[in-house]
Amino acid sequence: MEKACVDINELINVFSNTQGSVYQSDKLNCFYVDFGGKFARYNCISLQKLKKVIEDIDIEALLLNTNRADFELVTFNGCEHIYLLSALEIVAFKDLLQGTFTMFKLNHMVNDCLNRLVY
Amino acid sequence: MKDLMRIKSLISQDIETLLNQQIKKEAHSSSLYLSMSSWCDQNGFDFSADYFAKQSEEERLHQLKLFKYVLDMGGNAISPEVTGIKTEFLGFREVFEDALEAEIAITQSFKNIYARCQKEQDFVTMEFLNWFLKEQREEEYKARRALELFEVIGEEGTGRWEIDKHVNKISYSEQ
Repeated sequence: MEKACVDINELINVFSNTQGSVYQSDKLNCFYVDFGGKFARYNCISLQKLKKVIEDIDIEALLLNTNRADFELVTFNGCEHIYLLSALEIVAFKDLLQGTFTMFKLNHMVNDCLNRLVY
Repeated sequence: MKDLMRIKSLISQDIETLLNQQIKKEAHSSSLYLSMSSWCDQNGFDFSADYFAKQSEEERLHQLKLFKYVLDMGGNAISPEVTGIKTEFLGFREVFEDALEAEIAITQSFKNIYARCQKEQDFVTMEFLNWFLKEQREEEYKARRALELFEVIGEEGTGRWEIDKHVNKISYSEQ
């Protein structure tokens, strides 16, 4: 998906690092991941799966294995996107997704407090 | 900002992970009991074989109960891979020792999930887990009672035959 197809002003920036950003669309109840030159749309389940797939990559093994290139092809069932990532990009992607989910937790805590005050 | 993850699921990621681990543990217990049932049957302990087959069925039901809960709450329930099931036992007594050990491990595991729920104030899951905690009272009681038969009756002579006959009669009542 092209970034130009989405009105970036309608999106909320959940978390960014030097390599990319994750946005949330409250209107469409989905997320957009801007990473590695790709702007991809995800729902809750697929974003969780993406995080798990990225976290499960053993970077040390990837770097120590001399029989293969230091690149990893990342995709999973039900995901229409494919990433070809170097070890450094995997580290950055991991950081981006961990930061994103930490922000989700923080947002949940804030929402929880507000709900308790209002209801 | 909308809390989309909360809209999708009542339980947090951490609780979902713990419940999926528990599903795996229950599946492991179910397979272990089936393995014990097989060993008992092969060694002529028919009543104990029935007892462990029933226990295996119960553990399977526990697994499915947890599985349904995770799905009902909007989570991702994972069908577990079960490997490394013990198939050889040194003797009749060891089977029951292992059974009690497995039940203690399950109780501890539920206590850990409950503690995590308390920390997160996930009262919904805590209420769900109450059933399992009560169930563990019975499971541990039965496993402990079965092992005590070895002390009460003794293994000498027709002791093991006598123990086997009594195993199936163990029942738990709160009253």
